[in-house]
Amino acid sequence: MSKDSLDTIDAKLSEMLTNSMHIFDISMNCLLGDTNLDSVRDDLYSTDKAINELHREVRREMIIHSAVNSRNLDIPLLLSYMTMSKDIERIGDYCKNLFEIAETGNTFVKGDDLDEYIELRNDIGKLIVYLQSCLNLDDETKVQDLITLGSSISSDLDGRITSLLEKKEEAQYPVATTLFFRYLKRIVSHIVNASTALIMPTDQIDYLDE
Amino acid sequence: MNLKSFKNLSFAIFFLYFFLVSIKLLEKGIKTLGAEYTDALFESVSNPFAGLLVGILCTVLVQSSSVTTATIVGLVGSGVLSLEYAIPMVMGANIGTTVTNTLVSFGHVRREQEFKRAFAASTMHDFFNLLVVIILFPLDLYTGFITRMAEDGTEFILATGFTATKPNSPIKAGIKWGSNNILDGLSSIPFINNLSENSYRVYAVLLIIIAIAFIFLSLKNVVSNMKSLMLNQIEFGLDKALAKGGGLLAILIGILITFSVQSSSITTSILVPIVGSGILSIENAFPITLGANIGTTITAVLASFAVDDPAGLTIALHHVFFNLIGVIIVYPVKAVRNIPVILAKRLSVITAKRRYVAILYVLVTFLLLPLLGVVLFN
Repeated sequence: MSKDSLDTIDAKLSEMLTNSMHIFDISMNCLLGDTNLDSVRDDLYSTDKAINELHREVRREMIIHSAVNSRNLDIPLLLSYMTMSKDIERIGDYCKNLFEIAETGNTFVKGDDLDEYIELRNDIGKLIVYLQSCLNLDDETKVQDLITLGSSISSDLDGRITSLLEKKEEAQYPVATTLFFRYLKRIVSHIVNASTALIMPTDQIDYLDE
Repeated sequence: MNLKSFKNLSFAIFFLYFFLVSIKLLEKGIKTLGAEYTDALFESVSNPFAGLLVGILCTVLVQSSSVTTATIVGLVGSGVLSLEYAIPMVMGANIGTTVTNTLVSFGHVRREQEFKRAFAASTMHDFFNLLVVIILFPLDLYTGFITRMAEDGTEFILATGFTATKPNSPIKAGIKWGSNNILDGLSSIPFINNLSENSYRVYAVLLIIIAIAFIFLSLKNVVSNMKSLMLNQIEFGLDKALAKGGGLLAILIGILITFSVQSSSITTSILVPIVGSGILSIENAFPITLGANIGTTITAVLASFAVDDPAGLTIALHHVFFNLIGVIIVYPVKAVRNIPVILAKRLSVITAKRRYVAILYVLVTFLLLPLLGVVLFN
């Protein structure tokens, strides 16, 4: 199988993650900082469009690669690229959802939990960068670390959502906060799912718990 | 260059040489058979329509226009097949070669929309070649303008003193050395040696069969090794064509891909799943197909280096000019360019609804009609 074209796909996935990091930063800054929403709106939506276009480019690359290498095709690898690109593309969508929370007037800037949320943002941001670095490395241990870290953040977010739903915890904006945690959990899940595609058998991708 | 690429390149060069040696062997076999037998053999293609249909049938059976055209060059170069008889056969080979990508489109038969696109992508090549033959075949038959162009081209190349065309060129000497060694090797087998001494016609037929098998084998290996070597370049070219969306660049990409892998079927068959998936439109795939039609003519030109008679080069150049003029006639005017595309799309609408029509189309167009025609014209 030709390596160059697969390198191109890797590069496009990496670019998708760079854009995902950017869009994540924008949306989180809107919720946790004093960012003027109007000043970043265009950037946010154009970055999401760029991610979507890269997603389509990855698919096109895979079709051309399959057509040219029809007799020597690494089908599991292509399937993993397919699922990874889809997961990465979804990160952008959830970042848009986070931005929409900010657009409805909700902000956590003055909340008591701001420091915790900023820490959460940093941890998830690190996950995106970590996944990007894993793309070019054939290092199962590193990916395994990423999955463990992601799963732990995901469990933490689950716990926070449950506490809010069971009213064990008070929040200034309960609905917005629940949605905030929910979207962050989806982002983390998609990062973890994308990383499972790097090391797990094709039929096990996305099914970490089972 | 890594080891794998070096191996692919070495094999491709070796099999290209073996291909030229096989053409020489074919020439030797035909000459051994004798004029009285070969004249009778080619009597059946004295009717141009029969020649055209024989060209289609042969190419459909061997699934390679390169094998057919290279064999024809060998026959013309050995002086047993006249240019007049060979021209329709080469045109037929052009039509016959399109069956391969039509068969590839059947891989998409389970999904209606995908099959519709894939089948249209493959049959637009059929319609283009049929259209060009409809226009140029009678025109060349009565005016002989392409034949004259090919003859002038041959004279021009011979006048330039291009090494490969000289009777005592190192290329020809190398090919002769290879074929003589194979002949010596065959003569060392007692059974074949006995045949060559006592039954020269059977020996000649055996030699022709061996030569055609060698042509087939060598071309298959040239194509597979060159394809492995050029995979990245092919993907790069298709990416460019996709980004550009057709046009002259796409024609050039089609020429380059086919030239490098020595097979138009490889190029057109790669296009079928790409169009089938919907990422490349049929209209934008069309110029790549036209480029493939031009690029494929290089095999016959290479084959002509192996034969002694300049007529071998003339038939090869006729193939080049025929395909080139076909593109010049069809491509520039949008209304004309759309004819094969529209016909292919219309047929694909029918075949997507009734899949058996697709099977009937292949059987009737590529087997029954040519077979019936050959019988009728004889």
